[in-house]
Amino acid sequence: MSLLQISEPGGRPVRRTDRKRAAGIDLGTTNSLIATDVNGEVRTLADADSAHLLPSAVHYRADGATTVGAAAKAQAAADPANVIVSVKRALGKSLDELEDSGDYRQYRFDSECEPGSPAFVTAAGVRNPVEVSADILKTLVQRAEARTGEAVEGAVITVPAYFNDAQRQQTRHAAELAGIRVLRLLNEPTAAAVAYGLDTQEQGNIIVFDLGGGTFDVSLLSLRKGVFEVLATGGDTALGGDDFDKAVAGWLADQCGLGGMDSIAARDYPAMLQAANRAREALSEAEQAELSWNGSSFTLSAAEFAELAAPLVRRTMLACRRVLRDARMETGAIDNVLLVGGATRMPLIRRAVADYFGREPLQDIDPDRVVAIGAGIQAEVLAGNKPAGDFLLLDVNPLSLGIETMGELVEKIIHRNTSIPVSKSQEFTTFKDGQTAMALHVVQGERELVGECRSLARFSLRGIPPMVAGAAKVKVTFQVDADGLLSVSAEEASTGRKAEVQVKPSYGLDLDQVEQMLKDSHEHARADMSARALREARLEATRLMEAIGAALEVDGELLETAERAAIDQALHALRQAMAEENAARIEERTEQLNHASEGFAERRMNMTVGAALRGESIDAIDERTE
Amino acid sequence: MLSIADNYFSQFELPVGYDIDLDRLNGQFRELQTIVHPDRYAAAEDEQRLQAIKLSSYLNEAYETLKSPLRRAGYLLQMQGVDIEQVEQSDLDPELLFEQLRLRESLAELPKDESALERLEELHHATSAKLAQRQREFADFLAEASLGQARKLFHELQFLTKLQAEIEKAEDAIV
Ligand SMILES: Nc1ncnc2c1ncn2[C@@H]1O[C@H](COP(=O)(O)OP(=O)(O)OP(=O)(O)O)[C@@H](O)[C@H]1O
Ligand SMILES: [Mg+2]
Repeated sequence: MSLLQISEPGGRPVRRTDRKRAAGIDLGTTNSLIATDVNGEVRTLADADSAHLLPSAVHYRADGATTVGAAAKAQAAADPANVIVSVKRALGKSLDELEDSGDYRQYRFDSECEPGSPAFVTAAGVRNPVEVSADILKTLVQRAEARTGEAVEGAVITVPAYFNDAQRQQTRHAAELAGIRVLRLLNEPTAAAVAYGLDTQEQGNIIVFDLGGGTFDVSLLSLRKGVFEVLATGGDTALGGDDFDKAVAGWLADQCGLGGMDSIAARDYPAMLQAANRAREALSEAEQAELSWNGSSFTLSAAEFAELAAPLVRRTMLACRRVLRDARMETGAIDNVLLVGGATRMPLIRRAVADYFGREPLQDIDPDRVVAIGAGIQAEVLAGNKPAGDFLLLDVNPLSLGIETMGELVEKIIHRNTSIPVSKSQEFTTFKDGQTAMALHVVQGERELVGECRSLARFSLRGIPPMVAGAAKVKVTFQVDADGLLSVSAEEASTGRKAEVQVKPSYGLDLDQVEQMLKDSHEHARADMSARALREARLEATRLMEAIGAALEVDGELLETAERAAIDQALHALRQAMAEENAARIEERTEQLNHASEGFAERRMNMTVGAALRGESIDAIDERTE
Repeated sequence: MLSIADNYFSQFELPVGYDIDLDRLNGQFRELQTIVHPDRYAAAEDEQRLQAIKLSSYLNEAYETLKSPLRRAGYLLQMQGVDIEQVEQSDLDPELLFEQLRLRESLAELPKDESALERLEELHHATSAKLAQRQREFADFLAEASLGQARKLFHELQFLTKLQAEIEKAEDAIV
């Protein structure tokens, strides 16, 4: 496309007939929208009833038909098991996680499905969250095609900035399943900033506070000369209007003499949530709201609601604090605060944000549509319809990525809030003599132990030439692209042998767990550090003892008696230290053993490496000609 | 698309040195990303797109290195051929080690509730002040090419930065 343009004499602007129909899609927990170019301006499109918001509800009916949107949502209370709502929060999660949350109690899950990819059993058949999301996306695309009379050739789909790799992958799969060519996954707060920034031409540091139906993001961006640079991002992919509804539903259950949230029966659950939701939204306009349940009426005051909501509001404020800290910025340096998402209509959220940042948030943008419009603008650029010179987005990676190393430790390779695209390499070495394969385990999270981070993928590197332990140099490269998706490749330095994986959504990262992981990571940081030091020390010691043990067996007779005695004594001392929990002592004795065996190791290393290298080139040739 | 310079400083047309004009760095960074960012090549051939991802990643790495006071210090030493990976016992002033230990202990002994916040704030403040002072000293040593001294200070900066992160984690755990 761009090559054709360049070859046209005079570099004429894109002709109307060369334009590709592109769209921006906000796939929301509660509501979804599609935006596209209408007479030179990107706008959201309405359905036949002039509604721009498509409720993210899908009804799988007994007659096999599927309805999406308002009609489906209207059936949620009457046919709870077959109307799937808030499916976005199920993306990237395992069956256990969905069941334990209680949020999906009205559904039946397929007993045959893999624990890592749950699926709903509906009257129209089994559907997994990716398929349900695809049905919503299809409805939006049909709306755009009906309105414009053109096929949508590509779309930018938005995701919460704090979505992890598995959730991003599943969103992409849903779009692919809906037959959409994905131009880009774009972070929701970044999309909002684009729509706002291009509209107002404002410069400076802005906070985008996006509280939707199911997810919460907060991003700090610096806007200057058409460049939108995300400085830091934070949030919680399991915090939104739904959680405020749950708090009110729990209160209602208490008032009814039931024992709180857990006591609400599965089939009453959607109806009770809807009652709670109506009352909560009414409280945005009034000082109190009426709820009725089973013929009884109850009154919820704004003050009572504020008390129920306080822990949730606090979580949003903590995320703001962390974002500022990650960017090393004070609230005084913020020029404007942008509220996005329907749940920011709650007065108590507006107040909390205004108090925290010491300024009134902007009032004049439509919190529902701004994300879709920003995505639509970016889609125009990526499709080649709009000159790319207009603006540029520079985004970041929300969660740290790392690799499992020996002793169940995580070696962080890409830290959170690093600008993307990013590529980082790390060298690993073999642990045993003659080792020819290596398994790599990629994880995501902030903790130092593998078990406390989320596993993303495992892959193995084969064909490492046999060398003495530590001689093979395996260079592992992590690449996060502009969609925030990770790919990992590995290469042995001396042979250039490669292995590559695309990270597969084996199971989704539990979002409560991410939040928990982050919290735990703060609480246990200290314990982690010392546990880590001890593991590392033991590992180093074991590695050295094994190497020396093996060497002594083969070449032991090369040693002089005094040299041998010194090594034996150092070995003995280290073994004793290993029995204790003192990292410093182990390190010290490892060092002594190292010292005692220096001369021997060097002589032997030279010999062995020489031999191994000769052997290696033959092996490598053999494998390549296989 | 972009020619790769000898070092990160000249990539952003900045003088080599520890004191750095962050605004200028950011301005240059944005300008160069405008040229190489993969979004500029969305419709280009695969090969060009891959090249854009590579160059854009390289710029991000260069930018993050110079932006961070600690990483910038390490990078400057490496430019002078100083090995910063190996820390030797003799690099560390025993008094410094002792002080670190004391600070860490006092951090561990603080109560795990709001009553600790004031003390944490103080610690944070003191550490920031010390970091700033050590950074100035580092800049001076580097300017007069006292590399041995600069290396020692670099390790000290590492310690202080780590301590700072721990104080922040302790604060996060409370609020
Ligand atoms: N006037 C109002 N007062 C209080 N809450 C409101 C109001 N209007 C909408 N909401 C809430 O906003 C939420 C939906 O917001 P929105 O449509 O922005 O979410 P979404 O984009 O679907 O979700 P997400 O971005 O989390 O995936 C619902 O929880 C809804 O109750
Ligand atoms: Mg939203």
